[in-house]
Amino acid sequence: MRSHKPFVPVFYLLLLAALLLSACTPAPAAPVEPQKETVVVEKEVIVTQEVEKLVTPTQAPTGPVTIQFWHTFNVDVETKFLEEVLIPAFEAAHPDIKVEQVQVPYDQFRRKLLTAMAGGTAPDLIRADIIWVPEFADMGALAALDEVMPDFETYKEAVFPGPLSTNYYNGHYYGLPLDTNTRVLVYNEDMFAAAGIEAPPATMDEFLAACEKIKALGDDKYCFADGGAYAWAVNPWIWSFGGDVTDPEITKASDYLNGAGSQAAYEFLKNLIDQGYMHPGILGGGVDAWGGFASDQIAMLLEGPWFPPLFGSQFPDKGYGLAMMPAGSGGSISVVGGEDIVMFTQSQHKEAAAEFIRFMLSQETQLQLATVGQMPVLTSTSDTPEIQDHDFFGIFLQQLETAKARTPHPNWPKIEETYTNAGAAYLAGEMTFEEALGTAAQTIDGLLAPR
Amino acid sequence: METRMLQSAETLATPKRRKLSSMRKRQIRAAFLFILPGLLLFLVFNLYPLIKSFQISFYEWSIMPGRASTFVGLDNYLRAFQDPIARLSFRNTLLYTLITVPGQMTLAMLAALLLNQLGRGRGVYRLLYYLPVITSWVIVALLFRYMFQSPNGFINYLLVDVLQVVEKPIGWLQSAKTANIPIWVLGTWKGIGWSMVIFLAGLTTIPNDLYEAAAIDGAGSWHRFWHITLPLLRPTVVFTLVVLLIGGLNVFLPVVLVTNGGPLQQTEVILSYMYHQAFDFLDFGYGSAMSFMMAVFIIVLSFIQIRFFRQPEEIR
Amino acid sequence: MVQFASRRKLLSFMYYLLATLGAAVMILPFVWMVSTSFKEHAFVIEFPPRLIPANPTLSNFEQAWTANNFQLYFRNSLLVAVTSTLLVVLLSAMMAYAFARFEFPGKELIFFIILLVLFVPNLIGIIPQFLLAKTLNLRNSLIGLVFFYVSGSIPFNTFLLRGFFEALPKELEEAVLIDGGSYFTIFSRMVLPLSKPALATVAIFSFLGFWDEYVQSLTFIDDPLKRTLPVAIASFHGQHGTEWGLVFAASLIAIVPVVLVYISLQRYFTGGLTTGAFKG
Repeated sequence: MRSHKPFVPVFYLLLLAALLLSACTPAPAAPVEPQKETVVVEKEVIVTQEVEKLVTPTQAPTGPVTIQFWHTFNVDVETKFLEEVLIPAFEAAHPDIKVEQVQVPYDQFRRKLLTAMAGGTAPDLIRADIIWVPEFADMGALAALDEVMPDFETYKEAVFPGPLSTNYYNGHYYGLPLDTNTRVLVYNEDMFAAAGIEAPPATMDEFLAACEKIKALGDDKYCFADGGAYAWAVNPWIWSFGGDVTDPEITKASDYLNGAGSQAAYEFLKNLIDQGYMHPGILGGGVDAWGGFASDQIAMLLEGPWFPPLFGSQFPDKGYGLAMMPAGSGGSISVVGGEDIVMFTQSQHKEAAAEFIRFMLSQETQLQLATVGQMPVLTSTSDTPEIQDHDFFGIFLQQLETAKARTPHPNWPKIEETYTNAGAAYLAGEMTFEEALGTAAQTIDGLLAPR
Repeated sequence: METRMLQSAETLATPKRRKLSSMRKRQIRAAFLFILPGLLLFLVFNLYPLIKSFQISFYEWSIMPGRASTFVGLDNYLRAFQDPIARLSFRNTLLYTLITVPGQMTLAMLAALLLNQLGRGRGVYRLLYYLPVITSWVIVALLFRYMFQSPNGFINYLLVDVLQVVEKPIGWLQSAKTANIPIWVLGTWKGIGWSMVIFLAGLTTIPNDLYEAAAIDGAGSWHRFWHITLPLLRPTVVFTLVVLLIGGLNVFLPVVLVTNGGPLQQTEVILSYMYHQAFDFLDFGYGSAMSFMMAVFIIVLSFIQIRFFRQPEEIR
Repeated sequence: MVQFASRRKLLSFMYYLLATLGAAVMILPFVWMVSTSFKEHAFVIEFPPRLIPANPTLSNFEQAWTANNFQLYFRNSLLVAVTSTLLVVLLSAMMAYAFARFEFPGKELIFFIILLVLFVPNLIGIIPQFLLAKTLNLRNSLIGLVFFYVSGSIPFNTFLLRGFFEALPKELEEAVLIDGGSYFTIFSRMVLPLSKPALATVAIFSFLGFWDEYVQSLTFIDDPLKRTLPVAIASFHGQHGTEWGLVFAASLIAIVPVVLVYISLQRYFTGGLTTGAFKG
């Protein structure tokens, strides 16, 4: 509408382009920082592994170095302990190392870590959920501890083999276990008494019988609750009913995830929902499980060893008992959880970071962590009075003897999302079992296939 | 308008021309000094990332330092067309917009008309209605999750025990059919105050004698609203509509914070699904492609709107 | 006449009644928040809700204010939001003025691009923004947040203010110019003071947006000492059990600055919202 010399906009477009291009140029790197730019290449070009191996050599510490340690310890009990007891003890013993601890809520942790890695600002160490390790290792983000720590063998021998194996990926160990755990049945003593249930259910039949009695207490009373249809929640049922998610070699899910045992487990869970025994929060929206348990709306939960200290601090007057996961045709099989401590290739203080790993795996630290509900991973701790006479570790240790681990695979997040969604669709009655889990198994087959 | 003035000035007497052109130069210099700081920030921190994101959408982009990104052409875009969840999130985005925008505007208009009738205490009421706008999304989302819990949530308590309109508690967040409702209610509730404040300001500028004249002519209140208020408020309403539509199509936080896309990813919207793909699966190329498809859609829609709503002489 | 007056009274009563009912619905969640925040050790939100807690206590407010670096987060948020608001008002006003008053090459194009970006969701750029922040060493930096906040809201505010400035009479400005004044004198001595309502409006909307911003802050900041309030409050919501009284007390404290900004600037609202872009 307005008169303009035609070249003027063109000129400005060029100027704009120039400005943008100059903005694209990376700023000169800080001297110490390894310069690792994202490389854009055409499809055909083969990228050699060289690019990845650009690891900064660990510098000899001059003056105190600071290492960053990210973790998902709960705020109220565990983080406090780390901050007030463990780190001061470590720093007192190592005056040249400072530890900066960063607590990140569990559901934000993976996202935050991935962005930090992308930004080249990953922490030196993290306490990682055991299920994340293969994925991070596959990305090339983790330092192989068997190469970085000369005394790795010593630690490898000192820890339980099960938790250790969660650090193994493609011929290397990328971390060391820090704690281990599993889920056991927690039951509400008041509700059990009111319903006239004498002992915690040991089998699936007893579990159903207990649920019937609980339901008789009232329509808004639930026998059991869990937060969703994800692996942590459904796997114990799948295994206890004799099913599995994949074959033992982790090459396929078909005939396992949709096999007879898994089907029995899902059908059992669906029946719990349809009967009103299971809190419907498992279908979506989650559930305030601890609040419901404390206010006598929920009679049973599956919980880990963090439950007694933390629940006790929130609801000191509530009585509960611990029991084994009810046994089905496959036995009483729960899910192995726990955390590993892993080091990042981006770390510039690998020596100092390794020192902190050694500290966290010392018998003293491991036993101290046991006081806040972290189960030790050192074999040597088993015979100590702290563990032998521990208030509640006994049942967890017993459950751990048969507990199984979730599928260790770099594609785990997608695998889990696939069967979480499928399971929820079946449990909500939107699909038949074969429609939902059969299709999911096929999708997972594809995710398991070597790339 | 400025140009027109200058142009007409230029055709005037020649002696003035020299002075004018020096003034023009001066103006250009001043203009660039005025826009430079803002423009620079805008270019570097806003436009450049968008263009970069556009580039990323053609790659299987690796954000890990040292890993190669592969050029895949339009693959990411094609994938979005075949991905049922992507289609669903597109549908949910549209639904959110089609439900919350008219909802906000109607309720905001009602509230504005009502508050405009008040004498004393109008400011207090305005603040009360504005409170949801100024409260953090994080907090109100937590609250809404709690209110819509089932079976023992506040909304179910209202419906079943107080109003007795339904027999059994509704599993709001547990079923794909109902899980969008808390998101819509939250989006509407949190936005009413913003539009209301703008409408209310607009209403105060309408001279009272217009209404009085209409009242003398025997016009009812509906008639007055339809024939006096609305036409006079039209530009304000159009502006609000455009802003809300953009906001509605960009919906992200209410979804992420209330349902996080669940159950079964049935409540995902484009931006939440993009964020999920990008930050949970590191699939930045796919995420970027989806968000650009959305952006193109929004831009086209906005231009159609502007064409449609503005008087011809207002189009620039 | 008497009848008419009482009818008006009745009508006015009805209006107040309706407005109060509406307000009740709007603030219902707050009432719930407020009442919970006065309950000690509230790990469960009471159901059905009880408005007046049995043993009201201020301990949650005390605890929220003193614990978990809350004051630090509060200061961080305040610093970022205030700086960004001042900057964005100034820079947008300058840009808007140039677009409203000056004729310069490329004007249409630049404005068109700004308008285009206004329509595009900000979130799309978050990945490159993140990489940019890393390159420019702006990760874990509150200043970095300011840059992103300001640049992100320049398009909308420039668009708003341009409309407002166009509506200002320009005869006076021309007079100043002929008397030898510079454009900057006009801008700072005449335009800005005349535009207080519009600037206040922009300031309120911007401050609120910055104060509440969640995603960018969450994505760009790792250092727990640099967290802003929304991120901090979100992290109070624990994986296993949440002390609701504490969370709500913290959120209520967090609302105070926004309410103050709103109250202190609201007298400009009517003026700012009835001119310029709001009028179309």
